[in-house]
Amino acid sequence: MGSAIDVIIFAPLAPIFGVILFWFIQLLFIESQKYFLSKIRDNHEPLCRFTNFLGILFQTTCHALGYTVTKSGISSFYISVNYGKVAPKKEKKGIFEWMSNTFLFIGPFFIPSSLLLICLPFLMDHGFDIASTTGYTFSENLIAFGTNLYIFSEGFVSFLSSIDLLHPAHLGFFILLIILGLGTRPSSIGEKKRERVDMLYDLKNIRYNILHKPLYIIILFLIAYVFSYASLLLKQNWYVALFSIFGWLSIIAIVSLMVAHAIIILIKATDEIPGFWKFIPYITIPVSYLLMRTLFFFYPFGTSKCISLLVMIISTVLVIFLLLKYQTNKFKTKIDMKSLMKLGEGKKDGSR
Amino acid sequence: MDQDELLENEKVEKILSPHPLSFIGLQSLCIFLIVWGVLIGWLVNFSDFANLFGSNIWLPTLVWGIVLLVVGVVASLLTIRWRIFFLYLGVFVGGIGLMFWMSSLESAGIFIPFYTVAISIIGFLIVELYRRSHKYIISSQRIVFKGGVITKEERTLRYDKITDINYKQGILGQIFGFGTIIPISQSGFGLGNDTAFAAGGVQLGEKKAKFLGLFGGGKEVQTPRTRSYYELHGVHPYKEVGKIVENLVQGNVITPYQQEQVAFQKEQVDIQKQMRDLLKKQKNAGEDKPSDEK
Repeated sequence: MGSAIDVIIFAPLAPIFGVILFWFIQLLFIESQKYFLSKIRDNHEPLCRFTNFLGILFQTTCHALGYTVTKSGISSFYISVNYGKVAPKKEKKGIFEWMSNTFLFIGPFFIPSSLLLICLPFLMDHGFDIASTTGYTFSENLIAFGTNLYIFSEGFVSFLSSIDLLHPAHLGFFILLIILGLGTRPSSIGEKKRERVDMLYDLKNIRYNILHKPLYIIILFLIAYVFSYASLLLKQNWYVALFSIFGWLSIIAIVSLMVAHAIIILIKATDEIPGFWKFIPYITIPVSYLLMRTLFFFYPFGTSKCISLLVMIISTVLVIFLLLKYQTNKFKTKIDMKSLMKLGEGKKDGSR
Repeated sequence: MDQDELLENEKVEKILSPHPLSFIGLQSLCIFLIVWGVLIGWLVNFSDFANLFGSNIWLPTLVWGIVLLVVGVVASLLTIRWRIFFLYLGVFVGGIGLMFWMSSLESAGIFIPFYTVAISIIGFLIVELYRRSHKYIISSQRIVFKGGVITKEERTLRYDKITDINYKQGILGQIFGFGTIIPISQSGFGLGNDTAFAAGGVQLGEKKAKFLGLFGGGKEVQTPRTRSYYELHGVHPYKEVGKIVENLVQGNVITPYQQEQVAFQKEQVDIQKQMRDLLKKQKNAGEDKPSDEK
């Protein structure tokens, strides 16, 4: 056991800080995704509209869920590609208003990932073990939180690295992961911005809540502290476990955002390839994977799924690189460019 | 549109076809077949249930057929179109017939997935053929709708006969920028009915004396609905086309102000006619006078 101050005051803050850290990483990934989406917008407007729609769908659903939980009721529910609106039947003030706003504010980050988390126990062999705490100090709680996240990440990554894309459940999960990654938040790219929802908006919202509604923040912290003390008295690690679930959700969201990034980068890279050649990388993805799986079907191997995925990724990257090198001016070395320029100048001189 | 089909002073503004994704309702029937074909193939050959399916030669066919028909019934009830059920029933019966004809009942695990996927590919081709049969010509005087694969349907609608225009854009349409525009004519062409019906039955009495009663009720709502070859179905770019049609309708319909002007001009013409008649009478009277003096 640590000092009383550590256990009573600082220890409950440890998992909260951990969740906030992961939430910030999530926000950064979202901003980066928006940047990449804006780069491909000219050629892929429908894709941008689709991602925006997904974001609005998640956000509006969370808002509606907030009104339902607080028993405010829903008088109107409107959703389109660039705008979503939910109106309550009864305008409730106080804690209810704050709760429904919390759903709108935090919901899109955690509720879609929770859908994936529900699927994961059926697909993952391990990763849901909760580390036990003995000390209940700040550092002990932080270590337990980190350990929980590590165990989950290890299981999740090992599942993803050996995901069987020929298994309907795995394929369905992977498609959901991509959809979640693309629509974590509305991108509002190329649309008339009615209300800009980005990282700064979130931070402003936090600042507003801290300054203008400190009571609710205090209540939230109070609940957290009470729960922490209850866990401590009962010698259980429920408190850290609860926040670890939020951490898992963040990890799922971050991974899905990374997958979405890879897809957007693939689209961006293929945009630079002219004509029919741009479809070759997209054909390479299933062809290389199916070839490898067929090969391993006849010559079974322990890590065949993982190797098939690796071959698929490497061959796609290689094909893109080669196409960019031989079909475009990308990756042309300076010397080559200089010699080309000289050749051009020589031609000009000759023509004179 | 051929030149000889054009009317005098008629100018073609736009020739349109439905967007490839505008028939997603029909395409989704084929998508389901592909998904189910692949899934049943995996279930029977590669899943943990492969042994179970292998133990009985009828089981794969039975599971495949039941799911196909159940989905057909559910989709038919939701869309109120029994043709979906009959379509899937046809696929099922066709599959069974083909299996018997080819004596491949024992290899149903391989035959069924290939057959289902092949049927869905044929379905996709038919839908595409149907989509391509549609042609909408927006001219300066009218809209010509053409469609139909075997029986060719055509509708011509003059702008002054359009009373209402209905615009419809689903989520897919909002994403890809296409939508449906239904021009409703004065005759009501372009309107359909949504009917809701509720019924209940009562049976009273024991073994001998039985009473059976039925009670029910219905509601009808008029809604813009017509065949895809009588409307501008899934046209792209939706907003631009909508604006063109709206402008052409406005340009061909007399507004209240214009009606007032026409009435006023008619009044003026009548007054002028009356004045002309009076002048004629006066002139005639003037010519008659000297003859009297003589």
